[in-house]
Amino acid sequence: MAAREILPVLGVDAVYPEDFSCCGEHVKSVNQLITLYLSARNMAVCEKNGLENIYVPCSDCHLALSETKRVLNGSAELKERINTALASENLKYTGAVTLYHTLDLLHDYIGVEKIKSLVKKPFNGITVATHYGCKTIRPTEVGRPDNAENPQKMEKILTAIGVNTQPYPEKLDCCGASLLANLPETPLTKTGQKLKAIAEQGFAAMVDACPWCHKMYDSKQAKALETVASKSAVPVVNLLQIVGIALGIDKEKLGLNLNSSPAEKIAAEVTAS
Amino acid sequence: MNRIGVFICHCGINISNTVDVDKLTEFAAGLNGVIVAKNYKYMCSDVGAQLIKEATREHTLDALIIASCSPRMHEHTFRGVAEESGVNPFKVEIVNIREQCSWVHKEKVQGTEKAASLLKGAVAKAHLLEPLQKSKSAVVHEALVIGAGIAGIQAALDLANDGFKVFLVEKEASIGGRMSQLDKTFPTLDCSSCILTPKMMEVGNHPNIELLTYTEVVSVEGRVGNFKVAVKKKPRYVDMTKCTGCTSCVAACRMKGKVPDEFNMKRGKRSAIYIPFPQAIPLKCTIDPKSCIFLKTGKCGKGPLCVEACEPKAIDFTQKEEIVTLSVGTIIVATGFDLLDPEALYEYGYAKTPNVITTLEFERFVSPSGPSEGHIIVPSTGEPPKSVTYILCVGSRDETQCKWCCRIGCMSALKQVYLIREKLGPEVEINLCYTDIRSFGKGYEEFYRTIRSKGVNFFRGRPSEVRSTKEGLVIDIFDTTTNKLFEIKSDMVVLVPALVPRAGSEEFSRTMNLSRSSDGFFLEAHPKLRPSDTFVNGIFIAGCCQGPKDIADTVAQASAAASKAAAILSAKELENDPMIAAVEPELCAGCGVCVAVCTYKARNMNTITNIAEVDEALCAGCGACIAACPSNASIHKNLTKQQLISMIDEIL
Amino acid sequence: MSINDQTSMAEPQKEIRQEINDRLKKLQDEVSEFCFQCAKCTSGCEAHKLLELEPHKIMALLKRGLIDEMKNSEIIWTCMSCQKCKERCPQKVAPVDVLMALKNYAVASGIEVPGKYTDMLQSILSLGLLQEPQETMANDGSTKNRESLGLGPVSRPADVNNLMMALSSIAIEKV
Repeated sequence: MAAREILPVLGVDAVYPEDFSCCGEHVKSVNQLITLYLSARNMAVCEKNGLENIYVPCSDCHLALSETKRVLNGSAELKERINTALASENLKYTGAVTLYHTLDLLHDYIGVEKIKSLVKKPFNGITVATHYGCKTIRPTEVGRPDNAENPQKMEKILTAIGVNTQPYPEKLDCCGASLLANLPETPLTKTGQKLKAIAEQGFAAMVDACPWCHKMYDSKQAKALETVASKSAVPVVNLLQIVGIALGIDKEKLGLNLNSSPAEKIAAEVTAS
Repeated sequence: MNRIGVFICHCGINISNTVDVDKLTEFAAGLNGVIVAKNYKYMCSDVGAQLIKEATREHTLDALIIASCSPRMHEHTFRGVAEESGVNPFKVEIVNIREQCSWVHKEKVQGTEKAASLLKGAVAKAHLLEPLQKSKSAVVHEALVIGAGIAGIQAALDLANDGFKVFLVEKEASIGGRMSQLDKTFPTLDCSSCILTPKMMEVGNHPNIELLTYTEVVSVEGRVGNFKVAVKKKPRYVDMTKCTGCTSCVAACRMKGKVPDEFNMKRGKRSAIYIPFPQAIPLKCTIDPKSCIFLKTGKCGKGPLCVEACEPKAIDFTQKEEIVTLSVGTIIVATGFDLLDPEALYEYGYAKTPNVITTLEFERFVSPSGPSEGHIIVPSTGEPPKSVTYILCVGSRDETQCKWCCRIGCMSALKQVYLIREKLGPEVEINLCYTDIRSFGKGYEEFYRTIRSKGVNFFRGRPSEVRSTKEGLVIDIFDTTTNKLFEIKSDMVVLVPALVPRAGSEEFSRTMNLSRSSDGFFLEAHPKLRPSDTFVNGIFIAGCCQGPKDIADTVAQASAAASKAAAILSAKELENDPMIAAVEPELCAGCGVCVAVCTYKARNMNTITNIAEVDEALCAGCGACIAACPSNASIHKNLTKQQLISMIDEIL
Repeated sequence: MSINDQTSMAEPQKEIRQEINDRLKKLQDEVSEFCFQCAKCTSGCEAHKLLELEPHKIMALLKRGLIDEMKNSEIIWTCMSCQKCKERCPQKVAPVDVLMALKNYAVASGIEVPGKYTDMLQSILSLGLLQEPQETMANDGSTKNRESLGLGPVSRPADVNNLMMALSSIAIEKV
C-alpha cells in the first residue's frame, strides 16, 4: 500500500501488470527448477509488457529474480530449457529487465536529495534501528541493493527525512521467516531476540525493508516477545511507511493502522511544519 | 665443407622408448657432411661429454649436432663442451627430439620418422652456422640496493664486505624496515631492535655503503653491468650536516601530539618534524610536508617553533627535491611488505571499534618505544586487558582476499601470546582462534609446545564476526576440536592480517621491468632453484617483496641475492650472448622502425651513415626488430632466414 | 579399497555426490571440494544456536559421500537461508546452496516433505500464488481485505492451467 502511495509522489511512473505469479523462493528447497521457472516467468511477463525496470519490494522475490537472472545468464543450456517451457505460455525470458528493490529504488534511482526536497513533515530526530534483512543484502555475488557487511542506504534515506540511526551489534541478524514453512515456532525466537535487544538499547522504532521481516517483527511481534519473556513492544514500520509519513501522506493510506506493533506512534514524531 | 658430428641422446628411456636411436644414428651417419654419428644414454653426463670431446678430436669436427631434450635444458652445457673441444660454441645445433618428438608420440615408427626429419633440417642449418664471437662489455663494480629493511641491510653489508661500493636507497627517513617495528622475534624471543641495531650501525658506518634515505627510485635504464638509475632525494627541510638529532624541535612543534604516527601504525601521535624511532639511522630530523603548517600554508604562527628551538640552525625550508643518477652494475630489490587492511573483512569490526587491532599495532603497543611505552592496553580505556582474543588468517587463505598463507601469522601470534602472558601474568584470559598452526621452522614446533603450556585457550575455527557491544567485544566461535559453539567476551581482539605486496608495487614493477606472480609479489626466476634471481639479468630480489617469509629466510635470501650480484660485480667484463640482432648495412633503408620497436632501447640510427645499429650489450635477442624491418635488413645471428628456410626445405 | 563409517556402517555414495556437485557447479561458481573446515560458516550460522545446524559438517559429510545420512535427517531443513555462510566463506563454498541441493535431492528421492511445503507447492500449481490474499485486522478491530483497502485484485497468472502444465514439465527435469 505504502509503495503505491509513495511512488507517484516521488515521481516514479508505476505500472501494475497482470499475470504475475509467485516467484517461487519459498519452494526452492523442494524444487529449485520451479523457482527458476517462476522467477524467469515474472521477468518474461515484464518483457512482454515492454517494461525495462521492475520494482520488487519483497527481498525474497528480489533475491529469487536476481539469482535466476545470474544463473540463466550464466548457463545457455538452462536458459534454453526454461524458455522451452515458457514458450508453452507464450512467454520468453531474455534477461533484459533491470531489477530494483526499495533500497536502490529510493537511494539510487530516485536519489536521497530528491526525497529530501519532497519532505513535508520531517521527523524530529528520533533514533531508529535499521533492519535490512538477510536476503536484501546477501549474497553479494548475485548483486544486492546494498553492501552486505555495512549497509548504509537506509541510514542515508532516513537521515534525509529527519530520522537518526545508530549502529547496533545485532544489525545483521536474521528474522527467521524462511523457516515458517516447516518450523513455525523457532523463527519467533529469532524475531523476539532481536526485538528485545532493540528495545533494551533504547531505540524508538525498528525500520525494515522487507515484507517477510515486517511480518515477523510486526504481525508476529506479540508472540515473538513471549518467546523471550519480554514485554517491551517496539514500533515496527516498513521503510516505505516512514518515508511516506515524511512525505505528508495520510497514515491510513500508508496502512499504519494495519501494523500490529504500536507503529502509529511514529507518525506523531514529526516536527510541526 | 663442414665436418659435422651428430650425437643422439636416449635420455634414459624418455627418448629411446619412442625413437629408435640406433636406426636414427645410422640414418644420421648417411647425411651430407656428417662425419660421425653416435648415441648414448645420457649425453648431458660427464661420460656423454667425454664421448663428444673424443669424437670431435678424432674426426676433427667443426660443427656439432646434439639430438636430445629441449635446448632450454642443456644448450649451455653443450656449448661449453664444444668450446672445450675446440669447436666454436655457436656452431652447435640442438635438435629437440624429446619435448617436441618422443614426448608427443605414442608409436615408435612415427617418432623415429619425425626425429629423422628434424635431424635432416638440423644438418642443413648446421652447414650455414656462423662461428659467432661473444662481445664483451664493461661492468660498473658498484651495486644498488633498494629498500633498507633487514633484507636490504643484509644484502648491502654482504656486498660492502665483499669490497664493492653499495648505494643503499630507502624511501623512509630511517633504515630498519618492519623489523624495527617489532618488539621480540620468534622463536628465540630476541629483542628485535637489539639484533637489528648493530647491523644498522654497521651500515651507517661502513666505508663502502652510501646511504640515501628519504629517497625513492624514479627510473631505471640500461642493462646488467651498467644500469643508470635516477633517484629522487626528497627534501627533509633539515640540514643533515648540522642536525644533531637532539629533538628539541620535535618537542617545540605546534603539531606536537597531533599527527598520526605511521611508525606506530597510526596508534600514536607525533609532531610534524620527527625522527621515526629512537634508534633511527640516520639520527636526523625530517619535516613531513603533509602535516607541517609552514609548508602547507606559508606561515606558522609568528614563526616556526622548530626554527626557534634548533640551536645548530639546521632547519632549512628552502630545500628542494634533487634527482641524482646512479651508475651501478647490479640492483637488489628489497622493498618489503604491507599488511592487508583488515577493513576488507568488515565483519571483524576493525572499523567499528578501536579495540580491534592488528598484530603490527600490538607490536607497537608492547614495544617500550611505542605509543603505550610497552604496556599492553585496551586502546579505548588505556587499562590492561582482562582478556585478549586472537583471530588468525584474517584475509589469508581466502579466495575472496589473499589466496596465500602469510607464513608468519601463526608464529607471530604465538610469540605475542607469550609476551602477553609474560607481561600481564597468569590471570589474563588469552584466546586464540586458528585454522591451522603452521610452526614449520627450526625451533618453531618447540615454541608452539611451550605456548601450549601457558594456559592459552586454543579454538580451532574461524569466527564469523566480532560484535562490539556495551559489555565489550563478543565473538562466537565454533571449535571443531570439541564440536561446540563458544561465546567469547573479550576486552580486545588482535587480528592477524594477510601479508600483501607494498602499496605502489605495481608501478614500481613497471619502473624496474620486473614481473609479478599472481599474488602481486615480485616473481623469482625459478621457485626452487633461483629464488633471488628475476627474469631481468642483473636485478635480484630478496625478502618479503618476493613473498611472505620470516626474518631467517629473509636474511638467507638477502645473502643469496648479494652473492649472485657479487658474481657479476667481480667480473672484469661481461660476455654478451652473440645470438642477437644484427644489421645488413646494404639492405638498411634508414627508416627507423627497428628503433621504435625495440623495448630494450638497444637500437639507434646512426645519423651520419643513416644505417641502424645494434647495442650488443643491450640487445636481448627478442626478435621484434627482425619481424618489423620492412627491408629484411634486420637479422638474427645464427637464426637467419636462410638458415631457417634451409631447414624447412630439407624437412619437406 | 574401501572406506566404511563405523557409526552408520555406510560407505561413500560416490555417484550421488558427483551428481550433487555437478548440479551445484551448474547453478553457481562455488565448488564444495575446496572446503577446509574452518567452520566460519557454523560460527555465524543463524540456525546453529537454536537448531544445531552445522554447515561445515554438512560440507564434510558431502565430501565424504555420506549423503543418505543427511537426506534422511531433519537437520537439513533447519537452514534459514540467511546467506551468511555463502557471504563469508573464505574458500568460496556455499553451504546454503549445498543444503538447497540436498533438500531438492531428498524430495526427489521420495522422503516425506516436512511442514507446509507440499501445500505451498499445491497452491502454486493451482493458483499460481503461494496463497489467496488473506484478510487482515486493523488496530481498531475491523477486518479489512484488498477491496476495502482500495487495492484492486492481486496480479495473478491469467491461465493457471497453462502454468501448471509448464511447471509440471519442468519440475521433473534434472538440473
